Amino acid sequence: MKFDDQKIRNIGISAHIDSGKTTLSERILYYTKRIHAIHDVKGKDGVGATMDSMDLEKERGITIASAATYCEWKGYEINIIDTPGHVDFTIEVERSLRVLDGAILVLCSVGGVQSQSITVDQQMKRYKVPCIAFINKCDRSGANPFRVIEQLRTKLGHNAVAMQIPIGLENELQGVVDLVTMKAVYFDGDSGETVRVEEVPAGLLAQARAKREELIDAASLFSDELTDAILEEKDIAPELLYAAVRKGALKREITPVYMGSAYKNKGVQPLLDGVTYLLPTPSEVENIALNMDRNEEPVVLTCDPAKPIIALAFKLEDGQYGQLTYIRVYEGTVEKGSTIVNVRNGRKVKVGRVVRMHADQMEDVDALKAGYIGALFGIECASGDTFVSPGLNMTMTSMYVPKPVISLAIVPKDNKSQMAMSKALNRFSKEDPTFKTHVDPETNETIIEGMGELHLDIYVERMKREYNAEVTTGNPRVAYRETITQRADFNYTHKKQTGGAGQFGRIAGHIEPISDEEFVFENQIFGGAIPTQYIPACEKGFRESMAKGPKLEFPITGVKVVINDGASHAVDSSDMAFQAAARGAFRDAYLRAKPVIHEPIMKVVVETPTEFQGSVMGLLNQRRGMIIGSQDEGVMCVIEAQVPLAEMFGFSTVLRSATQGKAQFTMEFALYRQVPQSIAERIALEVAHNKKTAA
Amino acid sequence: MMIKKEILERNPLLKLGFKNEYILPDGGFGAVLAHAGVGKTALLVQMALHAMMHEQPVLHVSLNDAVSKVDVWYRELFSDMASRYDTAETTEYWETLLNYRFIMTFRVEGFSVPKLEERLSDLMQQNIFKPNVVILDGLKFDESGRGLLIELREMAQKYAMSIWFTVHTHRHEPPKEDGLPLSFLHVADLFDVLVQLAARGPEVCIKALRGQSPDAGADELLLDPATMLIKKR
Repeated sequence: MKFDDQKIRNIGISAHIDSGKTTLSERILYYTKRIHAIHDVKGKDGVGATMDSMDLEKERGITIASAATYCEWKGYEINIIDTPGHVDFTIEVERSLRVLDGAILVLCSVGGVQSQSITVDQQMKRYKVPCIAFINKCDRSGANPFRVIEQLRTKLGHNAVAMQIPIGLENELQGVVDLVTMKAVYFDGDSGETVRVEEVPAGLLAQARAKREELIDAASLFSDELTDAILEEKDIAPELLYAAVRKGALKREITPVYMGSAYKNKGVQPLLDGVTYLLPTPSEVENIALNMDRNEEPVVLTCDPAKPIIALAFKLEDGQYGQLTYIRVYEGTVEKGSTIVNVRNGRKVKVGRVVRMHADQMEDVDALKAGYIGALFGIECASGDTFVSPGLNMTMTSMYVPKPVISLAIVPKDNKSQMAMSKALNRFSKEDPTFKTHVDPETNETIIEGMGELHLDIYVERMKREYNAEVTTGNPRVAYRETITQRADFNYTHKKQTGGAGQFGRIAGHIEPISDEEFVFENQIFGGAIPTQYIPACEKGFRESMAKGPKLEFPITGVKVVINDGASHAVDSSDMAFQAAARGAFRDAYLRAKPVIHEPIMKVVVETPTEFQGSVMGLLNQRRGMIIGSQDEGVMCVIEAQVPLAEMFGFSTVLRSATQGKAQFTMEFALYRQVPQSIAERIALEVAHNKKTAA
Repeated sequence: MMIKKEILERNPLLKLGFKNEYILPDGGFGAVLAHAGVGKTALLVQMALHAMMHEQPVLHVSLNDAVSKVDVWYRELFSDMASRYDTAETTEYWETLLNYRFIMTFRVEGFSVPKLEERLSDLMQQNIFKPNVVILDGLKFDESGRGLLIELREMAQKYAMSIWFTVHTHRHEPPKEDGLPLSFLHVADLFDVLVQLAARGPEVCIKALRGQSPDAGADELLLDPATMLIKKR
């Protein structure tokens, strides 16, 4: 029997930082009666928004980890993921978009389409997530929702159409006119909870009619029935108009635009209606799994709860009751007590508690059916793992996890902090695959690595707040790497005779650069010049040498090691001797293989008014940036460049002052590239200096 | 660098009967004429790549596509050109080539010569980029008058650049005797070199209509439909 998922919506709320999406989530929870009081994002009332469950989120007024929650609106079950707005946290945004069926794109009515809206929109495009837009903050001075609709068209290429027009703007915002029903909607009561529907004010009638015409025109492309109704000059029923808009929205060919002010409690309930009318049900979205038994053949999933289970773990959290694993069920039903298999390692696990999340509180349920988002307790897995019923061998496409590009040394202030810090780091690195940590064996400092300055900054703060770990931080360091540029032969003998059993091992072969892998080891020894049992020790020795270059001590990548000869001694050869021989051989050949330093290059996208285009390009150029191109967008222009991360510290301040604060930029890791000779020399000097100071 | 040398030696455009490696003189105009979807951009991007390999800076101006899409054209065609070479070497070479390319995109209705010149002088004054070759993709010849091309020609001469255009010919419009479509005739005299792409069955033939050197031998060239690379028949 096919399960009816018509009344489920899995949605995300994505936007540029500070567009008010957490406030919007808070209002949605209030109107759907999941919470009974409204709290401010910035925590003026000492409580903070419900979706921002971490103290730090409340204080800074930004959302860091996406919290999942579900609510009910007019008989529909809505699962909401609140996603972070800052680019350093995009892994969270990408992860949530992967499991969502639709999204609300929140835009500020003053700021319009900003740089992060562009990034988020690209991510939505990548995962083909249909969306509706909500133009928030219509109560702010300078609010102009129609300008934002125009920007949606020109900057993001959306076929944006207004579903509403505002009644008053800025501090005179009173409500909205619904262009589908042609009624004015007001929001009464202390928190706007009472929706009052009236006739459209006479002064707005002409504008409303004109905008409704535009809406009908745009929607008619998706419905013959609607076109017929227009041609026959019949009254257009709301259902007919919604059905046509929905068809276009699901194909991402139309973007319905709602408006209001979440903070002033205006326009949220009609937006919720929009979510239920216009965003897809789980079965309307095509999800694809890969059949591992058939050479990763793509299989379209049907969202049938009666079928075997296919579910994706998209987020982990380590809470006080153990690991909490957020999952999205694509097929089948995950029930309490059922057995599921982690496809990555083939491990069978029994499902214990199944819960639905409401920010940091939870609610026990018996099962999660296909189409639902929820969480499991006590399941050991990594983020991105697929769970299936025993016997199935399918995987959801894996999610791309970028490597960290920046690191920071952290030193705990005392012993107590030391303990707390390691506990915190353990948890953070499990939750966030882009956050890594290790101890530098030389300086004994703990190093944390991540995707940007803010990313690391937030974790340091969280350590202090959640774990009472007082730490001091060093300067941010760029994750340089070394690689070789030419082949070099080696023939190295490790020999030690200092009392007791000696050590002997000889290894010969060569190292050469490879571009698509970090390390390749090839054994070309025939005839037992090195006995087979010592070959793994040789590989281990070479692999260990890759961790740190002999000169500059950055990790080495892109090396192929080939061994083709060697010698052993019946008594003195051992695993240890061959490991040492391999390390010696590598050291010996490495410097002759012309090593170079590679540095992380960031893709930087600056959005600036055209009058500052020249100076922005100049700034990027001064920072060793290579400008890929510039895109003219009317009054604004978008400049895309590749700039070394090392040159980007403090860029936001410089950009602000060069453009009177009118330009914005986003930055994400693009690739590693060889540093120019002069810079390499400077880095070598810095490394030498650091070593001296450490000593 | 081996890859550079070999790719340059294989420049098939020379086989089309053009004497000069760069084909166009400074300030000169060239155009590739074809119906939609035949491969105008692919051909011009290959010309641009050859110029970049000669260390000639190329400004690619697109009135249709976003920067990222134009970039993909270059990446794809370069990786096809360099497919038989070692990946490490091609990646390194590609990084070097990127220094010789700059992409600018405009919306068709927002494009004007003074605007282009303003953007260009921003780049040149700061020594960020000075193009020798400009690729102008997506200009509508039937709508934009002769005036715009004359302005462009003046700009090209002022900065000693050559400009290549794509010319979209319409299927409903039969070509005149010299192979040129009617909608292009009003500006045809401004062009030094004209190349036509024509689909014949599964093949796309490249034919020089104007600008060949009389004494240069000419082979028949095709665009390989699989890779869009230029090849000899």
